[in-house]
Amino acid sequence: MFYAQLAVNGLVQGLVVGLGALALTLVFGIARFPNAATGDTMTFGAYTALTVHKASGSLALGSIAAVGGAAVLALVAYLTVFKRLAGRSVVSLLVASIGIGFMIRAGLGVAFGHQQQVFNVPLSRPIRIAGLAINPLDLQLATVAVVALAAVFAILYLTPIGRQMRAVADNRDLARVSGIRPERVMTAMWLIAGGVSAVGGMMLGIKTIVSPEVGWEMLLPIFAATILGGIGSPVGAVVAGLVLGVAQEVSTPFVGFTYKIALSFVVLLAVLLVRPRGLFGRIEGVR
Amino acid sequence: MDAYLAAIAIIALIYMLLSLGLTLQYGLTGLINFGHVGFFAIGAYTSALLSLQGLPLALTIPAAAVTAGLAAWPIGLISLRLRDDYFAIVTLGFSETVRLVITSEKWLTNGVQGIPGIPRLFETISVGIGAQLAVMGLILAVTLAAIYAMRRIVASPFGRVIEAIRDNEEALQALGKDPAGFKIQVLILGSALAGIAGAFYAHYITYIVPDQFIPLVTFYVWMAIIIGGVGRVSGAIVGTGLLMLFLEGSRFLRDIVPGVSEVEMASLRIGVVGLLLVLFTIYRPQGLMGDFTKR
Amino acid sequence: MSLQVTNISKAFGGFKALSGVSLEVPMGGLVGLIGPNGAGKSTLFSVISGFMPPDEGAIGFDGRSLDGLNPAGRARTGLVRTFQVPREFAHLTVRENMMAAAPGQTGESLVGLFLRAGKVREEEERLAEEVREVIRFLRLERVADEPAGKLSGGQKKLVELGRALLVKPRLILLDEPFAGVNPVLIGEIMERIRELNGRGIGFLVIEHDLEALTRLAPQLYVMDQGRILTMGAPDAVLADARVREAYLGGAV
Repeated sequence: MFYAQLAVNGLVQGLVVGLGALALTLVFGIARFPNAATGDTMTFGAYTALTVHKASGSLALGSIAAVGGAAVLALVAYLTVFKRLAGRSVVSLLVASIGIGFMIRAGLGVAFGHQQQVFNVPLSRPIRIAGLAINPLDLQLATVAVVALAAVFAILYLTPIGRQMRAVADNRDLARVSGIRPERVMTAMWLIAGGVSAVGGMMLGIKTIVSPEVGWEMLLPIFAATILGGIGSPVGAVVAGLVLGVAQEVSTPFVGFTYKIALSFVVLLAVLLVRPRGLFGRIEGVR
Repeated sequence: MDAYLAAIAIIALIYMLLSLGLTLQYGLTGLINFGHVGFFAIGAYTSALLSLQGLPLALTIPAAAVTAGLAAWPIGLISLRLRDDYFAIVTLGFSETVRLVITSEKWLTNGVQGIPGIPRLFETISVGIGAQLAVMGLILAVTLAAIYAMRRIVASPFGRVIEAIRDNEEALQALGKDPAGFKIQVLILGSALAGIAGAFYAHYITYIVPDQFIPLVTFYVWMAIIIGGVGRVSGAIVGTGLLMLFLEGSRFLRDIVPGVSEVEMASLRIGVVGLLLVLFTIYRPQGLMGDFTKR
Repeated sequence: MSLQVTNISKAFGGFKALSGVSLEVPMGGLVGLIGPNGAGKSTLFSVISGFMPPDEGAIGFDGRSLDGLNPAGRARTGLVRTFQVPREFAHLTVRENMMAAAPGQTGESLVGLFLRAGKVREEEERLAEEVREVIRFLRLERVADEPAGKLSGGQKKLVELGRALLVKPRLILLDEPFAGVNPVLIGEIMERIRELNGRGIGFLVIEHDLEALTRLAPQLYVMDQGRILTMGAPDAVLADARVREAYLGGAV
């Protein structure tokens, strides 16, 4: 029962990781590089939501602002930096994404200071379902995440632009010769990646605290989930994020609070050495 | 003022050792090491802990090089099987894991409280500026030796092979050479340099905490070699000089511009590092000292 | 003894790139491998040189199985390949490209480099002389100290050939040596290949420039859709109706 409770607690954490990994895997699969600014985009989402929530008192308004703001931020990063580096080596894109992450973190640090902030959300008594204590806030957060995921998957699987995105992720050359316009696909992809990051960041901020470093510190679990799920696989990213979130919580009694993050590193190594394609990976060698 | 200059020189030389290690690994061999600070930390803690056990620094500093180098060995074995970008992620994860271990294993490292009272170099000889100059002289000698060794390597058959790995690994395999052994040696060597740098750092600062070993340090070094010119020893030297100018300049600026707090300056510093990484990657990937084609 | 390729098959997903390919190159032979784009020629090279494991089949060289060897190990047996798109060491000079290829250098170990400096210097001098000769032979003197990345496509092909020669090969797998090369240089390269072949080095040459290859190789294999269609002397092969059908579209 104890572990079941931990597992339930881990689910929300897992959704945060899963959302971050979804953003990362979209970029990795389509723009072909691991975007190290993903964590900081999440932080940006968290601060935007926090600010609007404080000003308006509405969490819904906060999340809309966060999604919109982070989507625009990601698009701007693409248009000003990543687009210029198209065709350059992965390391160029990777280093540039580190740079962008630093700039976002610096901007947030200057604007909001370094002291930790929290969302002022009402605490309520946990409800009991089948002997498990479930925090209503967690339920709400999970609902938000599920709605966000449903929206993204609807776009990916039900719309023409989503099909094009998946086609580019599968086989870029084939996609090009079949007349897909890469510019539109890239624009859509970066908007979605930014928006998804913001939802993850906001949830992270509500669940824990908001500080300029929170997103960056999630980067390792997010990378691990992306690779565990198979690069370019949206379903894989979310499932792997959930698995990792639950595994982290369940392992805490054994390995302690600090080492649960190291678990991501172990998972990352294990997957890369044993099955680099990940659980849901379709294609060997993404490049 | 002399003491201030000596202090800056010492920190600059420590960064220089880190830059030389990364130049060997990334600049010459093409290994994207995003976890340099992890090996720096291992060196710092190794030498600090051993010296507090009463061992002489003449032993603990080489021991720092050995432990950091040994830590690179398994990472090297793994790297042989990974794509470039995965290797970058794994090394970044490694350095964060090192920091987690340092934070958690309080019995050994005293956790976030850190280790105070680490013995200084030349503590018994003298105090004040004399001791500082002696420290500077020693680190300078080690750095010069490292630069000499690097130049020898660049001009050698070994240097040719590692640069061939950077330029096209499969072509090298097709000529009958296994890149594996070369990569591992390069990783160990570069990490040992980082370990020595860590040891010097610990004995100079005399107080180490996990927060001194965040990934930002790694990217300071990346910034230095990218600005200076990747794959050139002279690039590492020039880049490190500019990095120090930037780090000290920003501190100086804070002192004369009213109303900027240390926290804000820390943020600005990160922002400038980020901006420079982006600008150089886009507009001048060969750095200030030029392409690595002409040494 | 020879290069013996037996019944090699390789599929990518549902696509059969190679099905049951067998061929043989006698020691010191000069054999051509032609076929339209996508016939599987380069895939076959990748399999022979160990960059790609086959699903089925065996490869022997000089009476010895190569199956357990990685690409570097295969090259060390004297079986050296070049690449369709040249893979020069772009930032090294032409001279350095070739010097890097020579096997068994003392200065390639750090210990040797720092502890046996005299021996390293001696070896370097000898190697430099050897490389000078190869550069002269390939007529690359004018660009010898240029970074290889700055050369023309044809010159890069020559650099790859030169590097291969430094390995002391017994058989060279040449992947499209004439692709993207100007006609004057094609004649040059062909001359060099004949000369090397005269010295006992075997060649298996992929080419889809049919005309060039029929002038060069006394024996041809023809591939189409992952299979060996036929083999024989150029005249006989060109007269084969199946070859005209598959490769030439019946136009010749």
